[in-house]
Amino acid sequence: MRKFVLLLAGLFALSVAVYAVEVVFWTAPNPTQEAFWRSMAEAYMAEHPDVKITVQAIVEGPQGSEGTILAAIAGGNAPTASENIFTGFGAQLVEAGAVVPLNELPGWDELIVARRMTNAIKGWVFGDGNYYIFPIYANAMLFAWRLDILKELGFGEPPATYEGILAVGKKLKEMYPDKFLWARTALVQPTWWQRWFDFFMLYNAASDGNPFLSGGKLVADDEAVITVFKFLQELNAAELLLTQPAENPFQTGLSIWTNFGPWGIPWMKENFPELKFGENLVFAPPPVPASFGYVKPHKTFADAKGIVIYAPHASGASQEQINAIWEFVKWVFGSVENDVAWFKQTNLLPLREDLTTNPAFAAVFAETPELIPYAEELPYAVPPLKTPKVQDIQTALSEYGMIPALLGQKTPEQAWEDAKREILLLLEE
Amino acid sequence: MEVRGWLLTSPYLLYSLVFFLIPLGWSLWLVFTNWNLISPRIDFIGLENFVKAFKSARVHAAFLSAYRIMGFFLPMVLVQSLAVALLINSLPWGRAFFSVGFFMPYLASGVAVALVVRGILAYNSPAAPIFKALFGTIPNWFGHPVLAVFIISLLIAWKFSGYYALIFLAGLQSIPKELYEAAELDGARFFTKLFRITLPMLYPAFYTVLIMAVGLCFAIFTEPFMLTGGGPGRATHTWYLEIYYQVFQNLRAGYGAAISFINAAITFTSVLIVRRLMQRWGRALGYE
Repeated sequence: MRKFVLLLAGLFALSVAVYAVEVVFWTAPNPTQEAFWRSMAEAYMAEHPDVKITVQAIVEGPQGSEGTILAAIAGGNAPTASENIFTGFGAQLVEAGAVVPLNELPGWDELIVARRMTNAIKGWVFGDGNYYIFPIYANAMLFAWRLDILKELGFGEPPATYEGILAVGKKLKEMYPDKFLWARTALVQPTWWQRWFDFFMLYNAASDGNPFLSGGKLVADDEAVITVFKFLQELNAAELLLTQPAENPFQTGLSIWTNFGPWGIPWMKENFPELKFGENLVFAPPPVPASFGYVKPHKTFADAKGIVIYAPHASGASQEQINAIWEFVKWVFGSVENDVAWFKQTNLLPLREDLTTNPAFAAVFAETPELIPYAEELPYAVPPLKTPKVQDIQTALSEYGMIPALLGQKTPEQAWEDAKREILLLLEE
Repeated sequence: MEVRGWLLTSPYLLYSLVFFLIPLGWSLWLVFTNWNLISPRIDFIGLENFVKAFKSARVHAAFLSAYRIMGFFLPMVLVQSLAVALLINSLPWGRAFFSVGFFMPYLASGVAVALVVRGILAYNSPAAPIFKALFGTIPNWFGHPVLAVFIISLLIAWKFSGYYALIFLAGLQSIPKELYEAAELDGARFFTKLFRITLPMLYPAFYTVLIMAVGLCFAIFTEPFMLTGGGPGRATHTWYLEIYYQVFQNLRAGYGAAISFINAAITFTSVLIVRRLMQRWGRALGYE
C-alpha cells in the first residue's frame, strides 16, 4: 500500500513536471536585481508547481541590454518577459508590435490599485491608449553637493536658483581657481541618453514639468529650453564646467556639484566612506532661474524602467505562457513585502505613491537615509520621452542645440531654433 | 583527388558562406527595405535609404572624419612601424622576442586600451602635472576637435604599428646585404642608404601597409565609441559609429545596410586611388 501511494505521488510529481508551463524572465544585468528575481521565482514556483520560471540576466553586449533584447527578438527567441525597459525603448517595441498590451490581461486594474500607483501609471500610457510597460521603479535624479566645500565658501546650503549657483561658482573660483563647479565629460558628447542626466533634469525643473513632446508633437517650453542653454553657456564661459575626463572628480573634491542617481549610493559608500550624507554631502533637486518664481519642490527627470511581455511572434510564447508570466508579475507586485524586498536589495525606488508614507518601507529608509530625498522627489520626477524616435530627437538636441550653446558657438536662441527645426523634421518623417 | 581538394577547402568555404556571402546577400536585400530589425513586416522602399543617406549630415560627418583620421594616422603609423622594423632589424639578437612584444598592442582589447588612455589623459591623472609643465595647461584632449582626432589616430597607430612593423621587417630582411656593402664602399652614410636603398626596396611592404591602413580608416569604431562618442561636435563620428547608431540604437537595419554599402564603395574607391598612386611610385622605382 505504502509503495502504491509513493508510486502515485511520484507519478503526480512527474505529471506536474511534465505539464508545467515553462516561462523565461530576463532581468537587468545587475546582480542585486538578478538576485531579487531569482528569489521571487523560487518562492512563486514553490507555491505554483505547475509553473517553471527560468530567470536569466540579460547578457549585456556593447549596445547595452537593449541590443541583446533586439537580437533575441530578431531571432524569434526573446524571453517571455523582461524588465529593464524604459519608455523610449518600449515605444520602439510597441511600434514593431513586439510586446503585448498589459492592460488587456486579466487583473491589470486590480494590480494598479493594489500597488498604489493609480496616478503614477498615467504617465505610462501609450498613444493607442494601452499600457505596454509595467513600471517597477522610478529613480528621481538629483544633484549632489559637496556640503563641506560649500560651507568653506560661505554657503550653508545648496543654492536652488541659477543665480545662486553662479554666485557659488564665482566664490569657488576666487578661493580655489583649480576647482570646478560641475565635472561632466558627457556635457559635450552627443550621446543621446546622456541628455537625461543634464538637459532633462534642468529642463523639467525650469519648465515646471511642461512636457517636451506630447502626442508625437513638440510642445517644449521655448523659454525654459533657452534659459537652460543660457545657464550652461554662462557656466562654461565662467570656466565652472570641466568637460575633460577626470577620475571621480566630485568624490575627490575637484568639483562640488554633480548629477547623481540613487544607484550610485552603495558604490560611493564603499569607495568613499569619508563622504557622509548630511555632513559633507547633500542631495538637492535641480535649480531653476530665480525669475521663474517656482516654489519647491522643483521637477526633475526620472530614470524609470519596467516589465514588458513579448508578443508570440517575438518570443514564440503561447497565450498560456503569457498568462503564466503575467500571473507571476501580479503575484510579485501585488504584495508590499516584495516591493520592500526589492527596495532593500536594489536601492531602486519602487514606483508607489505610498513609498514615503507606508510604514513597511520605514526600515529601508532608516538603514539608508540617503534615499529619503530621492523618495520625496519621486512625485515630481518626469519619465523619459515616450517616442520611438527618442534617440534621434535627443541626438539632434545635443548636436544642434545644447552642445553648441554650451560651447558658445551659437546663441542660446539660435541653438534652440536649430535644434527645434531638426526635431520637427524628425517628427514629420 | 578533386573531392579531397574540396574537402580540405570546405571549412573555409563554409565559413565564407555563413559569415560573409549570406550576410552580404541579406544586406543587399535590406538596403531596399525599411526593416526595423524586429518587425516581421519588411517593406520594399526602393532607393529611399540611399537618398536619405546622401543627404544626411551625420553621413557627411562620417565621410569627412575618415579622411581627417587618415591625415593623422597614415604618417603616424608609417613612421612608427618603419622605425620599429628598423630597430628590430638592427638588433643582434632577440628579434623574434621584440617582434612579438611590439605586436602585442594589436591583440590588446580596444576597450581596455581606451579605458587606460582615458585614465592617463584624465584631468586629475598622475600624468596631468607633466602635461601642465609641458604645455602650460592641461589640454582638453577630447573636447577639442583636432586634439580628439589626434588622440584617436595616435591610439590606433600604436595598436597597428607593431603589426605593420612585421610586414616591414619581412621586407627589410629580404633586401640583399650586398647592396648595403656596395653602397658603403661608395661612401654612403645611414640616411643615404635609408633613402636610396631601404625605402625603395621596401616598396612592396609600403604598398601592402598603405592599402591596409587606408582601409582601416573607414572601419574605426571602438576608440571613438569609448572615448568621444563621436564628438566633440561630430569631429570623430566615424562610419561604423553611424552604422551602429542607425542599426542598433534606432533599429533602422535597412538604412544602416545602405550606409554600409556606401562605406564599402568609398573605402574601395579610396583604396583604388591609393593603389594607383602607389603603382605610379612603383613604376618610378622600376617595379612593374
